[in-house]
Amino acid sequence: MNVTEILFWILSALAIASALMVVLSKNPVHSVLWLIMVFFAISGHYILLNAQFLFIVNLIVYAGAIMVLFLFVIMLMNLNTDTEPQKNKWLKVAGVVAGGCLMLVFVAALKSSGTQQVQMGEGNIGLIENLGKALFNEYVLPFEISSVLFLSAMVGAVVIGKKGD
Amino acid sequence: MNVIVLSAVWGVVMMFSGLFIADKSKAKYVAIAGLLVLLVANYFDLHHKFLFASSIGNMLQFESFGMIFVTIALLSTLLYVLLSGAAVEKVGNHAYEYFALLFFVLCGVGIAASYNNLLMLFLGIEIMSIPLYILTGADKRNLKSNEASLKYFLMGSFSTGIMLLGIVLLYGATGTFNLVIPAVSKASENMMVSAGIVLLAIALAFKVSAAPFHFWTPDVYDGAPTVFTSFMATVVKVAGFIAFVRLFENAFGGMTDVWQYTIALIIAATLIAGNITAVFQQSVKRMLAYSSISQAGFMLFAVYSVNAFAKEGILLYAAAYCLATIGIFAVLIKMKDFTFEGFNGLAKQQPLLALLVSIFVLSLAGIPLTAGFLSKYYMVLASIKAGGLLWLIITAMLCAAVSVYYYFRLIQAMYFKEGDANAIDVNPRFKALLVVAAVLIILLGVYPNALLLDWFHIL
Repeated sequence: MNVTEILFWILSALAIASALMVVLSKNPVHSVLWLIMVFFAISGHYILLNAQFLFIVNLIVYAGAIMVLFLFVIMLMNLNTDTEPQKNKWLKVAGVVAGGCLMLVFVAALKSSGTQQVQMGEGNIGLIENLGKALFNEYVLPFEISSVLFLSAMVGAVVIGKKGD
Repeated sequence: MNVIVLSAVWGVVMMFSGLFIADKSKAKYVAIAGLLVLLVANYFDLHHKFLFASSIGNMLQFESFGMIFVTIALLSTLLYVLLSGAAVEKVGNHAYEYFALLFFVLCGVGIAASYNNLLMLFLGIEIMSIPLYILTGADKRNLKSNEASLKYFLMGSFSTGIMLLGIVLLYGATGTFNLVIPAVSKASENMMVSAGIVLLAIALAFKVSAAPFHFWTPDVYDGAPTVFTSFMATVVKVAGFIAFVRLFENAFGGMTDVWQYTIALIIAATLIAGNITAVFQQSVKRMLAYSSISQAGFMLFAVYSVNAFAKEGILLYAAAYCLATIGIFAVLIKMKDFTFEGFNGLAKQQPLLALLVSIFVLSLAGIPLTAGFLSKYYMVLASIKAGGLLWLIITAMLCAAVSVYYYFRLIQAMYFKEGDANAIDVNPRFKALLVVAAVLIILLGVYPNALLLDWFHIL
């Protein structure tokens, strides 16, 4: 077991444990803080894959900007443990059964594909130069068309956010 | 490609005309002009004359099936704007932006009808969905509209996440985003492909509101401003079906043993849930929401039975369903009261309107001589040709019989109940357009080949 593998297992355990805490903690602010932890762990995985650009973007955009927005919204709405709505007991049981079934299927599906392993620490597919080349050669059409998506989202934000009807 | 580019451009044109034209009642004329431009562009698309090169990476494929559907979608949208354009302007202050968002949706429809790559499928579905989240909440003072918008947004983004996971699993197994039939050699990869297919089926079933992923539909359709419900329930929903059919035919057609039975169960659940719940509705708008779920059950037969017959059937179904539903919603917008009682005695006050609504309703119920009958017939026949399950077809027949009950309640309210229902500001132009829609429904029911299906083979 070399250093990369040890790091991989530590980061994976951290990601899964933090993700569980996001769901389990009663206080929404704690949930968001755990979510930031998940993003850090996943960014660590990107480093292991030699994808520095994705690492930095993930940290800046998700762990930074979006999570700060989350925190602001939660704090402005003053949500805390008491305001969490009480859910029906049967609803919880149904949720556990449904989610458990899905997990069972996925574990079964992925268990049998155990031999495939990703390259770690090598390969330069995630470097910004190669990413840019792929984006502007092979994937230029989806890249351009996604501008329509963002434009419609912006128009929507203005329509919803503007004062008056 | 022409339609995809020009609809996005015309969305921008709409916004700029909002800047320069102060009178917001002019918005619908700009939109109608745009739709005519798009129809011309679509004509060139159909004949494979592209104004824009699009061959990069072979990500879009312009086959006659998708392009004819785009024609149907554009004509339906034109009818929709002609009938209900004035109602769009009454929703709020941003008439031009609402129309711009509708044009962005049409861009998404164009992509959904021609994608040849899972990335483009994702973009197409998202470009169709995001403007709709906003249009659902366009009536800002109405709490129900706000609630519907938030619900739709949260559930929709959740289903998008499921779709992305499915795409990722397929990419992991095949190493490409292209729509190729996965050449699965190892059993391990087969598992990943199967999981991916199931997740994609779930996400698309959500978008077309098939049971058991339909719970958002009644609330969203009921809460959204009625004009936008009309658009959502027709053009966008049918475009979701085209994406669904193209994905399962082009990519997974050779693996029917993996997914066909699951789709059969979804069809049965959709038909039963949609029809039984529709019986108990008191509001016509909510009844139409459930009716759209039950119609989705029939349209899913096209996904179930992957053959050329199903493709013709879904095109006919798209035309019949869009025409009839847009017509009913156009009348509904003019009513003061959306309950069944609100329609009491409409036949005395507005005999022509009542007759036209009856024709639309009969088509939705699938009564012979209308396009609705023939499209249901095509769907069932396609599934029989694909070696369909007998219990599924019997369920479909029984559910079609149940649907007659709630559709005829509307006719009963209009003709056989006393009341003073009256539609507000109905002008002769509105009536003439509705007559055109009704005549088209009957003509499609009598001459489907000459009007629509032959084009599928000619082009």
